[in-house]
Amino acid sequence: MVELTLPKNSKISRKGKNFPAAKGAKNLRTVKIYRFDPEAPENPRVDSYRVDMTGVSMVLDVLIKIKNEIDPTLTFRRSCREGVCGSCAMNINGANTLACTKGMDELGKGDLHIYPLPHQPVVKDLVTDLSNFYKQHAAVAPFLQANETPEKEHLQSHDDREKLDGLYECILCASCSTSCPSYWWNGDRGEEGEIKDEYLGPAALLQAYRWLQDSRDDARKARLDYLEDNFRLYRCHTIMNCTQVCPKGLNPAEAIAGIKRMMVERG
Amino acid sequence: MATAQKSTKFTQPLSPHLQIWRWTITMASSIIHRATGAALYMGSLLITAWLAAAAYGEGLYAQLTLWLTSPFGRIILVGFTWSVLFHLANGVRHLFWDAGVGLSLKTARLTAWLVFLLATLGTAALWWFALTHDVAAMSGGAH
Repeated sequence: MVELTLPKNSKISRKGKNFPAAKGAKNLRTVKIYRFDPEAPENPRVDSYRVDMTGVSMVLDVLIKIKNEIDPTLTFRRSCREGVCGSCAMNINGANTLACTKGMDELGKGDLHIYPLPHQPVVKDLVTDLSNFYKQHAAVAPFLQANETPEKEHLQSHDDREKLDGLYECILCASCSTSCPSYWWNGDRGEEGEIKDEYLGPAALLQAYRWLQDSRDDARKARLDYLEDNFRLYRCHTIMNCTQVCPKGLNPAEAIAGIKRMMVERG
Repeated sequence: MATAQKSTKFTQPLSPHLQIWRWTITMASSIIHRATGAALYMGSLLITAWLAAAAYGEGLYAQLTLWLTSPFGRIILVGFTWSVLFHLANGVRHLFWDAGVGLSLKTARLTAWLVFLLATLGTAALWWFALTHDVAAMSGGAH
């Protein structure tokens, strides 16, 4: 069901706190951050921080600065701080991206608005529960399925290897899937742990295509059989939000179109 | 209870989505493709009503024509024209996508803008033509 508004318990309350600037701080900018505390029986709120941006280059630096110097209760995921782990994916000024690779100089001059990845269950503040996303990734069998085991390694020509460029680089940050309106409304429909009448989303489908394109893989037919489904694959309407937001510059929409074409070609 | 531990399960809120999303042109063209598709259903009903009225008799046809040429009717017809042109142009975009062409971000953005432009210019051109020419006489029809 398409629900344009948020459920009652998810509506943002007006009880957001204001954290004024430290004395003598310069170069100030307001950062508004979505907050939810699972231990308080309250709706989510948006807190407002006045932050000195001196010496800050990336959005992740801002979050770390707030946590270190202003409000230690602020919760977010981060690890590598260089765009390879995918932990700090979040919604910054209305688009999903990685906080660690989003430069402050890309964000204009106004207030900063930081929210968790859209349409996901919130664990705390900017941390969402991505279990369903991972389940969908597992569902496309993202590993090599070869009939024969060679003595050494599975060989591949340079040309065949090149087909995987633009596909294998995905870091599973979930920016794309949680940017997709079709995924918002069709992405989580089955009972817990099962996939039924459910759109798998751009990230899982990009991975599906990555293995469909791999010359060493022998499970093409089974993979296509699994994806030939009104919901799993065909809920993609080429909205292209996935491609707009991918922090690695990949193109899930194109990969999904590729799978659809393989379906036609095999008849 | 089997376990002494109290359930820690709470109702997790759903994070905001449409409320915070910054619209993209490709997203707008997608939802408007769907909306114009729905509008075309209504438009087909309108054409059917027009034909049925013509078949039924002069009185009903005159009444319907009066309504369609009223300011409100004109707005509906202009909207219908725009919907046809938008849906047609964006449909061609989908055809190319199905062939694997035009899926790069740059091209998809550009063609989305083009579809809006085409639908709007096309509607303006058609209506300019219709309002400055005697269309009924040109088709050989009688008043």
